[in-house]
Amino acid sequence: MLQWNSFVQKAQSLIDPANFNIPALSSSDHNPSKASLFRQQFRLPDSQNPLQEITADLVLPLPNSSGTQGDRRVDRAGARYTGRLHLSERFICFSTQPTSFLPSASLTASTNWTGQTHGTGPSGNGFTLPLSCIRRVERLHSASHVFSLALTTWNGLLSKQQEPNFVPQRLIIQLVGSRQSSERFCDCLKKGLREGMKEVDNLRLVVSDCYSEYLLSGAKGKSQEGNEADARQPPDAGLGMIFRYPGDARKLRDRSKMRLWGEYFRENGRNTTLVRQPTFHKLIRVGLPNRLRGEIWELTSGSLFLRLRSPNLYQETLAQFQGQESLAIDEIEKDLNRSLPEYPGFQSEEGIGRLRRVLTAYSWINAEIGYCQAMNIVVAALLIYMSEAQAFSLLSVLCDRLLPGYYSTTMYGTLLDQKVFESLVEKTMPVLWDHLGKFDVQLSVVSLPWFLSLYINSMPLVFAFRVLDVFFLEGPKVLFQVGLAILRVNGEELLDVQDDGSFISVLKSYFSRLDESAHPRSENPKLRAITRFQELMVVAFKEFSGITHSTITEQREKHKDAVLENIENFAKRTSIRNLGPESKRLSVDDLGTIYDRFYETLYQWQQHQRLIEEERKRQEKKKSERLSILAPTESEVGRVGLGPSPTHMDYEAFREFLAATSKWAAGDSPAPSRKNYPGDQGYHSQKGSTKSLLWANRRLPADHEFMQRLYRKWATDPTEGLSLQNVVNGLARLKGSPDIMNNINYFFDLYDDSGSGEVDREGILKMSEALLFLSRRGFEGTISAPTQSLEDLNGPRDREHAEQNRLTADERFLGSVSAFIRRCFEYADPSHPQNQGTAKNNVTEAAEKLDSFAIGGDDDEDLIDVDGDSKSNKSPVSEASPRPAKSNNPNATTRGQNRQASESANPALDPNNPLHITLPTFRMVVLADELLEQFFESYFPQSFHLSDHPHPAALAASSSLSSNLTTFSNLGSLRSPQLGAASGVSVAGASGGIVPPGKGLRGVLDNIVTDGIRMAAERELERNALGRDEDDDEEDEEDYPRRADASAAAMAGGIGSWGAGAYGADPERRSVREADRDLLEGAEVVSVRGKDESSSLLEGNEDSELPANKAVGSPTDHSGGNSSSNHDVEVVSKVVEFDS
Amino acid sequence: MSEPASANAPKPSSSVKLVLLGEAAVGKSSLVLRFVNNDFQENKEPTIGAAFLTQKCSLPTRTIKFEIWDTAGQERFASLAPMYYRNAQAALVVYDVTKPSSLTKAKHWVAELQRQASPGIVIALVGNKLDLTNDSGDASESAATENEFESTPNADEAAGEEGEEQDVTPGDARKVPTREANTYAEEEGLLFFETSAKTGTNVVDVFTAIANAIPESSLKTGRGTGAGTGQTALSGRSEDSRVNLGDRNAATAKEGCAC
Repeated sequence: MLQWNSFVQKAQSLIDPANFNIPALSSSDHNPSKASLFRQQFRLPDSQNPLQEITADLVLPLPNSSGTQGDRRVDRAGARYTGRLHLSERFICFSTQPTSFLPSASLTASTNWTGQTHGTGPSGNGFTLPLSCIRRVERLHSASHVFSLALTTWNGLLSKQQEPNFVPQRLIIQLVGSRQSSERFCDCLKKGLREGMKEVDNLRLVVSDCYSEYLLSGAKGKSQEGNEADARQPPDAGLGMIFRYPGDARKLRDRSKMRLWGEYFRENGRNTTLVRQPTFHKLIRVGLPNRLRGEIWELTSGSLFLRLRSPNLYQETLAQFQGQESLAIDEIEKDLNRSLPEYPGFQSEEGIGRLRRVLTAYSWINAEIGYCQAMNIVVAALLIYMSEAQAFSLLSVLCDRLLPGYYSTTMYGTLLDQKVFESLVEKTMPVLWDHLGKFDVQLSVVSLPWFLSLYINSMPLVFAFRVLDVFFLEGPKVLFQVGLAILRVNGEELLDVQDDGSFISVLKSYFSRLDESAHPRSENPKLRAITRFQELMVVAFKEFSGITHSTITEQREKHKDAVLENIENFAKRTSIRNLGPESKRLSVDDLGTIYDRFYETLYQWQQHQRLIEEERKRQEKKKSERLSILAPTESEVGRVGLGPSPTHMDYEAFREFLAATSKWAAGDSPAPSRKNYPGDQGYHSQKGSTKSLLWANRRLPADHEFMQRLYRKWATDPTEGLSLQNVVNGLARLKGSPDIMNNINYFFDLYDDSGSGEVDREGILKMSEALLFLSRRGFEGTISAPTQSLEDLNGPRDREHAEQNRLTADERFLGSVSAFIRRCFEYADPSHPQNQGTAKNNVTEAAEKLDSFAIGGDDDEDLIDVDGDSKSNKSPVSEASPRPAKSNNPNATTRGQNRQASESANPALDPNNPLHITLPTFRMVVLADELLEQFFESYFPQSFHLSDHPHPAALAASSSLSSNLTTFSNLGSLRSPQLGAASGVSVAGASGGIVPPGKGLRGVLDNIVTDGIRMAAERELERNALGRDEDDDEEDEEDYPRRADASAAAMAGGIGSWGAGAYGADPERRSVREADRDLLEGAEVVSVRGKDESSSLLEGNEDSELPANKAVGSPTDHSGGNSSSNHDVEVVSKVVEFDS
Repeated sequence: MSEPASANAPKPSSSVKLVLLGEAAVGKSSLVLRFVNNDFQENKEPTIGAAFLTQKCSLPTRTIKFEIWDTAGQERFASLAPMYYRNAQAALVVYDVTKPSSLTKAKHWVAELQRQASPGIVIALVGNKLDLTNDSGDASESAATENEFESTPNADEAAGEEGEEQDVTPGDARKVPTREANTYAEEEGLLFFETSAKTGTNVVDVFTAIANAIPESSLKTGRGTGAGTGQTALSGRSEDSRVNLGDRNAATAKEGCAC
């Protein structure tokens, strides 16, 4: 079972669209999809796809000569980069990395990309321009054949204030390629630009939040002590503006960094229009200046583009969910006072309020993650440097792309990256790794918080922010590089460590001294000036430069299965343990099987639904909703280990579950083209993976009323669906006790819609239908060959039984079911006491006759009494008497009543008189038939297959069980000595009142075979036919063309045709059913022509299938039935054929 | 590495790995803080993954140095727990006496430990926040400030509660009767205490009882340095080495479990 589980998961992981977006794996080829690589490289939102690409030269014009630092500019003048120019829906991107993302491009190119990202960061040199920030594009006239474009951007033109010495940004791009492809690129660009114009307002809004605009506007420089009253307020650059930024600004050389950035911006554009040159990467490596930190983080992480797409999402989300409560909010509230409490901003209501709002807003737009401890720390850190809206979108980039799965409800990403980290340590520092292993020090105990909170509460803040600067530019590999460097730098000390405690303390003391000199005793002052942190950075990015993005991706792939499996095992263990007392009735193996099957079904169902949904969306070509901008689109859903997965299955999924559990729940046609499976086959056949093939080749589930009942019975709230708990409880009640009475009661309960302990006529018919449904795939050996007892009981019918013995269990079971119906009606009680008064007048011979045999009392005592003295049945007599078998005067009022009550009650002998059976009656009827008894004894519970025991063993056990327990042979005088006692006890115990069952039941059976009831039975069945028709009309179930048997005859003769019509796709089955019919015809069924009474009865009914009803007879079962003529039988089968 | 106990350390000293588990906000960290620093803080930094602290506990015959792993209580951190309870010799499973759901969660943890942790792990069930009940003599404070988390409806819990409802005095924030928890603890063979990290009631007693309950055989002796209380959580004394007995490695916790 476990092996199967892991196999399933492995198979899944092969096909699953990667949950890790960096780079996401496409479902088809186990390789990062071009589109996701593209987005990853340029940090674009998920909505972007590579549309066009072309090789191009980027020529940066000479910086305009206003010249204080002319020399340096000249150095860089005319910088020219060769690379690829890419176009997506809303972005034009240029990178010097020779990469290709077009779907047609070869795969190696995109893998190359991942290999080259280290050092310069994934973006390389170039730009990522939203098309909206391009003001105009000119085709340059050049002497040569070169196709040159000049892009003029909005850089610096969006604010009202004119900047001093401003020169518009102009980028020259020379397309290298055929004229045709260049033209094509330009056409696409033109289209994009037109679209982009709509976003200029957004752009203006977003850009105004950027500190760079303020910086370059010159407002800062000039606003010396209020000589400009209306000086622009600087944009929000985080809490640091109010509460000071961490660290000593002078020591951090904040001012000169700011100057350098200002210069860089002037030459290369700012925020959205920034062009990346080598200096850009260098400036980031030395640490960002405080006031620009937030903006550059936003830019390098790509969260700026999310904000550009929907600039007001943050405020809107807050407004939309204002005042609402959630678990996440409670959890957030608890941590607000303990997020970076050492920073003054978070000791104030201002800081705490911002933190609360950002975390809350995020918990709303990503409810799957909600809130995870550690997010508070990360967001608190972000808020020191950026505004709430900026932190909000950066948080979503973190959760979706940079730290996939870190904060999910299972934290699989965290655990996975710990595994990856450990494997990297093992690879790069084998000595240390061996040492830790030897002393059983668990690395992840230490390193987990590093990753989870991005070193923020491990290192002093100033240094953690330096790590973040690089992290946002270069991606998650930075966390690994830094982690490895920490261990490397402390290698010697760590080799002395022998337990977790000292391991932690070595590192803790290291972190506390990061600002000290790395070489305090060095002669060389320059060397002495190098801090431990600088040393750490050098080690991280030089020594571990080999740790690239592809390393991480590869390692994640490698460990993903094991990690998910661990989590899932943990989840499984935990939830099975927590299933409550009811579940203890099932074995742990069984629970494990249910658990696996439950989630497997949910998972598959979810995937399936998603595909359908995608298909639908594609067809509608609908733009994705606002929220999906931030929501990850390529993540798989439903897998337990990955986070919040659905916990409830709806009826459709439940059918799948049942189909995997029970043979009878599997559909009959292996590959149906049902209308609720659009695209199913197509999709699955496209994917060549094992798992989806398994799912595609599964038997589609049947749909039967019985399954619906089971669903409703098990569900706490059917609209919500079934939880694992529901399913376990449901199965525990069915399989948990080997007691036949339990099973019979359970089955009865399923049909006791009103909860009144009564099942009406309709219910009886549905029960019998369910019996046929459940048995239509055979009994898997649980129903044994006919025993002596049957003959014994039905002594007079020797000939019949000789015949019956030759028949298979299947065939005989049909007989049992038809007998079941008949008996149910025989012993049914009338439902409406108010009818009794009038009805009494109409007591007929038949009814009187019936009275003497009617035993269907309301309680067990009646049943017992029957045996001794049938005349003493006071309650059955009085209740049976109102059956006005011959009364043909259905007056309007009662009819109305009946129709109203038709759900809960139906007439038996007369439409006016609804009838019902009670549980004791039902039990009796079941126990009156050996096959039915065996059915409930063993087949029914055993047909739910749980843990995959080897079949032979299980079946052997089951068949022995069935023969050991209460069968009629046991009950009668022939009971085998060693088993009889036990079985007798169990029956007596479970059934409560039924004392000496053997004798009593035998007496009952004697009654059953008396032909005195023939008349009554006929009438019942005629009425049944009507009931069925109504029933059919109401339910309109496509799967069961029961109109075919809209006749009383169908109850017996038609059973065969149900089999053929409803289940009989294969000829073999049909032939079996035909054999059944023979059986029914020969042995059990007497078809009687409709009598005058019945036709007049029918006339009162508005049922549309009146003629059919007229034409048919009804089966009875008694010795007299043998006299039934072939003629009658023919009529029956003809009617059936005609109708079907 | 390990030297015989020297003259200035008359009592043998041994380390015991102890893990704290329990629902969020039941006061795990506060219990540890009370034990280690004899302090109480209203706003403790949340535990990310787990916090590590040490404290010595002096018994008449020996000194036990507790290496305490204080785990995060948020539900989603539960899958990290195996990493921390791995090889633990003792566990403190904490619930909140004012919050029945926390006892249910505690029971889950007990079951988890009994099946997955080292065999012979000493488990103490601790009902914290005794100060909020009438028993403590200070019932003025209400438990209403506590947020209700993870109130997973659980059949046996509900049943258990209703049965004992009459035990709860009106006006008392206590929702989990002592008797109920005690009965459960006895059934499962756990040590049982009700504590208040705020007032300090019973806190040291819990740890002392655990120290006493640790079988001598499973103790690893280290170089004892007397019974000084480790006031700092991480003293950085790497010289405090000790022998790693085989039994620690032989623990059953699955290698690399869930991490």
